[in-house]
Amino acid sequence: MSIELNKDQVNDPGLATSRLPLTAVFFRSFLIQAGWNYERLQNLGFAFAITPALRRIYASNKAFNAAVLRHLGLFNTQPYMVGFVLGNIIKMEEDLARAPGNAEFEKKLIGVKQALSSGFASIGDRVFWGRLKPITTQLCIAVWFLAGFYGWLFTGDGYRPSALVLFGGPLAGIAVYGFFAVYLRWIGLKKGYACGGIANCGLDAMRWPELIRRLSVTGFVFSLSIVLGAFGLLIAHNLPGESKGSLAMKLTLVLCVMALQRVTRKFGRSIFFAMGIIVAVSVAVFTVFNPGKFNIYL
Amino acid sequence: MIIVLKALISSLFAGLLQLDNVQAGQFLISRPALVGPALGWLNGCPAEGAKIGLLTELIYLDFIPVGGVVPPCGLVAAAVGVLGFAFGGLPESTAFFFGILAGFLYANLEYRLRVLRSSWISGIEAQAKDGTLRLERRLAGSLLIESAMTGFYIFIFSWLLALVSGFGFCAGFGALFRASDLAYSLMPWLGLSGLYFRFSTQVYKK
Repeated sequence: MSIELNKDQVNDPGLATSRLPLTAVFFRSFLIQAGWNYERLQNLGFAFAITPALRRIYASNKAFNAAVLRHLGLFNTQPYMVGFVLGNIIKMEEDLARAPGNAEFEKKLIGVKQALSSGFASIGDRVFWGRLKPITTQLCIAVWFLAGFYGWLFTGDGYRPSALVLFGGPLAGIAVYGFFAVYLRWIGLKKGYACGGIANCGLDAMRWPELIRRLSVTGFVFSLSIVLGAFGLLIAHNLPGESKGSLAMKLTLVLCVMALQRVTRKFGRSIFFAMGIIVAVSVAVFTVFNPGKFNIYL
Repeated sequence: MIIVLKALISSLFAGLLQLDNVQAGQFLISRPALVGPALGWLNGCPAEGAKIGLLTELIYLDFIPVGGVVPPCGLVAAAVGVLGFAFGGLPESTAFFFGILAGFLYANLEYRLRVLRSSWISGIEAQAKDGTLRLERRLAGSLLIESAMTGFYIFIFSWLLALVSGFGFCAGFGALFRASDLAYSLMPWLGLSGLYFRFSTQVYKK
């Protein structure tokens, strides 16, 4: 396709590749969810993030205003994956600036934006919300576990760990998660810009199915280890002073809770349902039988 | 007086961290497992804060914020839980369950804030057309409103818990507090099993 250059509207499109606009877009992309609303979802954040690039691309105010207006339309994706969409759309805006008034290309730009946002939302939800986020919780538990802080498991435990241990747990997870989140935003922006204009641009930037599978396996191994470790701790903490009957009752109670969670999930109910049952049963036990102070652990 | 000031500062701090939860950054610094010990440290109970925070996080992992879904707010739950214990004077276990309730109810407020922002769109479009749009101001307003509302909500809820605590101890709610102790001691197992079943479903899914 030959592109006619309109010097009134183009302010050196090549400049958008220089460090300043892309870096500014990158930093602004951290506010992609700012102003989230039900009418257009992330539109305000997207328009805000892409503005530095649009300023560089469009010299005339009229063309710039039209471009901003174009990006105030409906938009929604996974926030950490927005770089892929932004990079792609910046490249397409440059092409559009070279061919002003090309309604077909403008329509294509909107179409590519919507297609990419859906595709990356699906991938991002699986990678970040479905896997990485729970793994950070597991990391926190692992750090506390290794540091000897078991209060999260035995709620009656009065041990007071150091601040380093208390904050080290959650911060370890945040460091891992933050690395992925920042890296994907930046790489996405670069790769999106490099292959801009294609509806599946950036979708092959990483081997997503393999990454997702590996994260699932990692999470599963972590979960299994933590659950087994928790059972080991429960037995180790109760063996010295408790009778076998008491220990068996505690283990049964724990297994009942796990079974309740399993059944709750099977019937599609939220964890609040299982929690409600546990609270209701506990209240019933203590108001009807009033067994006195009964703390099953420690 | 100092404890009230601490509760106020904690609420404002939590309101600030809430921005990371949805609107800005999303680096997970608003995760309950960090907010719990941080607010606990501010209020002189870091270990209890850590326990409340992590258990809240384990429970709230069940909710995924995809699309337009407004999940219960883990940060609010952890903050109210810690303040309910440190400021309200409730037992740790009871404060935790009230925190969970506060986080659940906060989703309604978050929903209303999102609806409110929807009403801005036509005005923003008009400004974009005539070139007078200052998007950064709009977004700053959005951040400020959310932060202030969250801080206010947490502070008010903490006061309510202080009242509940006073009433509960006067009315002899000892049995209820002991019941919440038992239920609380089972929460780690409920959370851990949720985590385990989530990943086992992913791994064994065909």
